Amino acid sequence: MATKASRAKGASRWNVAARALAAIPANYVLTSLAIACLARLLPMRPEEASVAATLFSFALFAVLALTAFAVRSVARLWLGMIGAGLLLGGGLWLSIASGGRL
Amino acid sequence: MKEGLRQSMAWLHTWTGLLLGWLLFAMFATGTAAYFQDEITRWMQPEVMGRPDPVVAAEGAVRFLQTTAPDAKRWFITPPNSRSATTQVFWQPDGDRPRGSRRDTSATLDGQGQKIEARETRGGTFLYRFHFDLHYLPVIWARYLVGIAAMFMLVAILSGVITHKKIFADFFMLRFGKGQRSWLDAHNVTAVLALPFHLMITFTGLVTLATLYMPWGIAANYTSPDSFFDTVFAQSEEVGRSGQAAPLAPIGAMMRTASAEWHGAGVGFLSVSNPGDTTATVSLTRAPEDAIGSRGPQLTLDGTTGRRLDASVSKGAALETESVMIGLHAGRFAEWGLRWLYFLSGVGGTIMVGSGLVLWTVKRRARLPDPERPHFGFRLVERLNVAAIAGLGSGLATYFLANRLLPLRMEARADWEVHSLFLIWGAVLIWALVRPARRAWIEALALAALLFAAVPFVNALTTPRNLFASLAAGDWLFVAFDAVMLLLAAGFGWAARKAARPRSVRAPRRAAQASDTVAAA
Repeated sequence: MATKASRAKGASRWNVAARALAAIPANYVLTSLAIACLARLLPMRPEEASVAATLFSFALFAVLALTAFAVRSVARLWLGMIGAGLLLGGGLWLSIASGGRL
Repeated sequence: MKEGLRQSMAWLHTWTGLLLGWLLFAMFATGTAAYFQDEITRWMQPEVMGRPDPVVAAEGAVRFLQTTAPDAKRWFITPPNSRSATTQVFWQPDGDRPRGSRRDTSATLDGQGQKIEARETRGGTFLYRFHFDLHYLPVIWARYLVGIAAMFMLVAILSGVITHKKIFADFFMLRFGKGQRSWLDAHNVTAVLALPFHLMITFTGLVTLATLYMPWGIAANYTSPDSFFDTVFAQSEEVGRSGQAAPLAPIGAMMRTASAEWHGAGVGFLSVSNPGDTTATVSLTRAPEDAIGSRGPQLTLDGTTGRRLDASVSKGAALETESVMIGLHAGRFAEWGLRWLYFLSGVGGTIMVGSGLVLWTVKRRARLPDPERPHFGFRLVERLNVAAIAGLGSGLATYFLANRLLPLRMEARADWEVHSLFLIWGAVLIWALVRPARRAWIEALALAALLFAAVPFVNALTTPRNLFASLAAGDWLFVAFDAVMLLLAAGFGWAARKAARPRSVRAPRRAAQASDTVAAA
């Protein structure tokens, strides 16, 4: 990377920053939404579903973090994450608005 | 990151491993030591001898509490297990009284319920707590920091596995004296050999504080976390005292009742509410050493009659999984053989993190534009490596030495044992910053070796329990402690000698070829 980095250092820096933002803060928000949806959807008692979803969260976060650095296009990465976030957020809002919490 | 999956994962492995690598090294090292926290505590209180019976010890503890805190709201008793020698008690004073310091409401007792007259120390417990609470930091910040580091570790492990082409071939590959290649081998062997352990320990470590790091699974179903915890850990309702005195039924009989209920497993923890009153209840929890799950079953008995009131409901699959994961991490269930395996795997993990940190500098040194004047980032990593690896070693040895050398009646003695660890650690950091890097490595490693080697000698000079006396008495705990200190001294000494040898001159081209498994990043 050393030779390529000297050629396009600026672009590479932005690329890394965009991926790091996706891999850490955006990933945390997306994982949290997915875990919250999972906790509501799993067909178990609520305390069981909450714990099962929480246990799964670390695996999901790690895989998403890897994905953020593995995919080729940063734009597509962000589009995908924002899309999934909106979908999960909407679903969660619907579920809580209609079903309530304990 | 257009170079393909392996290159991007190698890049990710390099940086997630480096950024919090020094913290991870300290977490791995102290966590590994904490597998022997009870034994370390016993070594650090050489006045305490014997293997008390837990039932007799709990009865003694009740006698102690009946005279010391007869009107407390609750007593908490941790009887000795097969590895510890003392009973820990603390009590919650009645509501009206001002809460004093923890020292006024807790005590360490011997097998007969007498307050222990031993040197003040935090023992192995400090190393255990440092592993996730760090020190001189608010606990909550420390736990977030440790959690972020653990997640970096998990990502570093997974990206490292993806990077690794020849995972099975490298299983058997350790080439000495080959510069960068040897560092890479050391990193790979310790990583691959114990890979299941590293994955398990990192993941379960995150699980131990899961609801702190990821509270949203609970928030999705509960308006307040308290209602979740009330459902899961059904706490008995707090009942006010009736005011009518009634003696507590024999605690030993209650412990035998509970053991019978748990197919012979011992009692690890007792809490007594409203002692000495007709409303008294006793809750017993199974000993953590008798099963993997960290949250053992509970049994609640009437305090005056010993009649059974309530037993914890069996957990569902998810809660049981969580309990087993935390149990796997803490390893409290492990017998001697498994405990040593935990310890060795932890040592492997510590070496993996340490060799990875060193590898970062070794790989880059050959490619520096001017090796005599490296750039700031390189110098920073180099010096932090010295401080983290050799400095922590010196600090730990000093912690043990301070335990033997500080005056026995010193004010805040236990705190000063801990301060001495950080004073030496900080001193090595400053030393590493001001000395030339290679001299700093040699001197700091040699210092750690000397300090570890000094521990058995200082122990022999300050206590009657020296290596020969321990061997003659069959006191394997003290023998093993001395042996581990000498092995650590030998390890650091060997590393110091290695660092002192003139570096093998390698052509940059060969170094580049050698890095075939971890692609240049």
